[in-house]
Amino acid sequence: MNHAIRTENLGRIYKIRGGKKSEPRELVALKGVHLQVNPGELFGLLGPNGAGKTTLIKILTTLLAPTSGNAFVAGYDVCRHQQSIRQRINMVSGGEASGYGLLTVRENLWMFSQFYGISSKEANRRIKELLEIVGLQDRMNTKSSDLSTGLRQKMNIVRGFMTDPQVLFLDEPTLGLDVGASREVRQFIRKWVNDNPTRTLLLTTHYMVEADELCDRVAIINKGRVLACDTPVNLKRNLQQEAIYRLEVSPFEGPECERFEVLPGVNNVVHTPMDGYTILEMILTKDDALSSVVNTLTREDIHILNLQKREPTLEDVFVDLVGRSMEEVERAEKVRGEI
Amino acid sequence: MGGTHSDRILHKNTGLKLFLQTIAARAYPRIIGQHREKSWVFFEIFLPMLAVAAYVFVYRAIGAPEEYIGFVVIGGAMIAFWLNILWSMSSQMYWEKEQGNLSLYIMAPNSMTAILLGMALGGLLATTLRAVVIIILGSWLFNVSYTINNYIQLIFILILTMVALYGMGMMTSSIFLLLSREAWHLSNLAQEPVYLISGFYFPIKSLNFWVAAGASIIPLTLGLDAMRQLVFASGDELGFLPVQSEIFILIFLCGFFLIGAYLLLAYMERLAIREGRLTESRR
Amino acid sequence: MSWISQSFSRINTFPNLKSLWNSFWVGAWLGWQIESNWTDPFLFATYSIIKPLSGAAILVVMYGVISEGDFDDPLFTYMFIGYAFYIYVTQIMNGIVWAVIDDREHYKTLKYIYTAPVHFPTYLLGRSVASILIGSIAVIITLLFGVIFMHIQIDLAGIDWLLIFITLFIGINMLALMGLIIAGVMLILVHHMWDLGAAVAGSLFLFSGAVFPLEVLPPAIRWIGYLLPVTYWLELIRRSLVGSIALAYPTFNNLNNLQLLGILVIATGALAVIAFISFRWCEGQARDGGLIDRVTNY
Repeated sequence: MNHAIRTENLGRIYKIRGGKKSEPRELVALKGVHLQVNPGELFGLLGPNGAGKTTLIKILTTLLAPTSGNAFVAGYDVCRHQQSIRQRINMVSGGEASGYGLLTVRENLWMFSQFYGISSKEANRRIKELLEIVGLQDRMNTKSSDLSTGLRQKMNIVRGFMTDPQVLFLDEPTLGLDVGASREVRQFIRKWVNDNPTRTLLLTTHYMVEADELCDRVAIINKGRVLACDTPVNLKRNLQQEAIYRLEVSPFEGPECERFEVLPGVNNVVHTPMDGYTILEMILTKDDALSSVVNTLTREDIHILNLQKREPTLEDVFVDLVGRSMEEVERAEKVRGEI
Repeated sequence: MGGTHSDRILHKNTGLKLFLQTIAARAYPRIIGQHREKSWVFFEIFLPMLAVAAYVFVYRAIGAPEEYIGFVVIGGAMIAFWLNILWSMSSQMYWEKEQGNLSLYIMAPNSMTAILLGMALGGLLATTLRAVVIIILGSWLFNVSYTINNYIQLIFILILTMVALYGMGMMTSSIFLLLSREAWHLSNLAQEPVYLISGFYFPIKSLNFWVAAGASIIPLTLGLDAMRQLVFASGDELGFLPVQSEIFILIFLCGFFLIGAYLLLAYMERLAIREGRLTESRR
Repeated sequence: MSWISQSFSRINTFPNLKSLWNSFWVGAWLGWQIESNWTDPFLFATYSIIKPLSGAAILVVMYGVISEGDFDDPLFTYMFIGYAFYIYVTQIMNGIVWAVIDDREHYKTLKYIYTAPVHFPTYLLGRSVASILIGSIAVIITLLFGVIFMHIQIDLAGIDWLLIFITLFIGINMLALMGLIIAGVMLILVHHMWDLGAAVAGSLFLFSGAVFPLEVLPPAIRWIGYLLPVTYWLELIRRSLVGSIALAYPTFNNLNNLQLLGILVIATGALAVIAFISFRWCEGQARDGGLIDRVTNY
């Protein structure tokens, strides 16, 4: 089968320049990444900030060369057939400020369409239709510097779709958008893929809900490695043999998760202090393990305020794979100064 | 958001058509921007005229022959093109990178050469207007007289100079793909030394032969020298090389810079992709 | 003229000295960080030497070609000193204008600085400090070059040190205030006007008697030079460095040093008022038009 996107043992190492007196150090952004995305798929790449998602997209869109391994887009090698790939792809990034503020929405979009060899007549027709679909038709002649962040992102999304790419890369497309706008963008993306079965879309996000809602398959990536790759249903199903509980307890001092993780049957614990209480989210091998947790809480005079059993989410899948929540990973990375 | 869009684009231009489309598309923001914000007309044309006038009066103060006034006027006009190369072409790559446009340009199937040409041509309106106004106003205000015997040769030299100069601009632009803030400073650094060694305000013959020969790599050096020889009565005596020789060198420079630009742009793009410099923001 | 009253009404909310110093110091620190850390020291030094010297060399070659190398003529010293100190004009004008463009368009921090409790004009003046320092290096290098290689007639024993330091101090403030006026204009202009500072400096070059006595200009435009504080400043610089040479030329022969200094001080004071009013007006226009955080590069 010809894959829309295929990577083989893909790796990328950055040399980070330190201060004037320090030696450059190496940052492993990607390591041993194997991925295969089928044509017509809406494929998600899920991971915390700094996981390597954007690096992977940059390699696939020919903006960055890999340091090891191979990558192919639409059957073409990203290192040797860049022009062939560029004719077939497009990319939209979240928080983009591209284009020129003095030009109107229509003019910016027209300009970018010309770089893909689309005739002006065809470009203007598509721009008009797409702007209507995203609800920007009445701002067509507004200077892009006068648009709000959300509207500007909608303009960027039109820029990505209007060239009719065979493979479209969306790098955190809802970043910075409000809830309503994010929902609209997600609906649009899903419908576009449904209406265009020969088109492939690779979406990176660190929003679990987005990946769960949109993607046919999801790859979970952390610290440059792909930890799992399957449909959201299958990824969660693997956890359904386990029991996931959410407890709200009174605040407590001392080591947070260790006292629970040593208990038999407890796989992972995520501890989130809140204002006036603490949330403990646990993945247990089976329901029976809950009793030892409750006993520990009682012994340490920690009161249970609320207890819920719930269905696994992709967040739980991530915790199961990495041992920590995405938030904790991002916090730890920030402290280490690698973000 | 309503329905989606599912008809295919059946044909996309490639090759020369795409090249020309890209030039037109990238020139468009420049042209429209200048049309929408017309403040440049005063600041880019009137004020530089005053700076040119200052050098005219320097020559008057030291008792220079009148043709030197003409040298200043012509040289002052041509400065506009040098500044267009430095600031609107070369270091523009850095600004495009900062804004996030550079990665979109590279990712598209167009050619960076076409993007740069579009930038240059888009700015050419303002540049040419500046040069023409300086020549007309300067010549009128300071009674500069010209003796042009061969208009065709003059226009030919002007075209050769522009082609070679913009080719050089494209070559230097490629280096800016790798640079960050030093891009601004390097452009800034290249201003006055080029005014000096290219002889914008005096005949290049006044400099040491080897300095003048080395400076001839900059197309404006020989272009200016040849144009002066053709428009001023005493031009021959003050020329560095015979006009015919300068024409041949300019033709060579055209080929050298255009081919060099094509090769260097491709090489620098590959290098920037390998080192991850296309999207970094090293402010 | 409601904008004038608006400008003066702000005097009621004029910040205290501590806040002004804070704004100035932060601007100065930031300006130096930006100007000095873009490359290694060697390249920075090369840049700092080549740039001013090549500008001076243009003048040297122009003069040398016509005078056939007669650099002992006092006119050459007159021109050279004027050119050397004119570097301050270009450097400071350019520096402040680029502070606005950099902050607004490149670093996109202008909106954050503007909405912070700093005194914005004072912050911009602080940003000019780096330009002043770099300009000083360039001026010193140019003068050294002139003295060592071009035999500029500066006699250390004959320099009026008090006058030159006072003149420099007042002059730098004067130039910074002029830069502030242009920076205000830049707030309402687009990125395309990036060379506004250099363009204004270039036009002042004609009228201020920087490299030729003002009397070389036709009477129809000579009067402009008499209105410019830069003209008086440069004359005072020349008189303090090479008194006899400066006095050999007719510019301001009817005025003694004290009178010139007085005019310079009054002109600087007037400039301060003009800068205050014009900057506030431009700032108001920029705020009304939502221009503080716009990006206009094309």
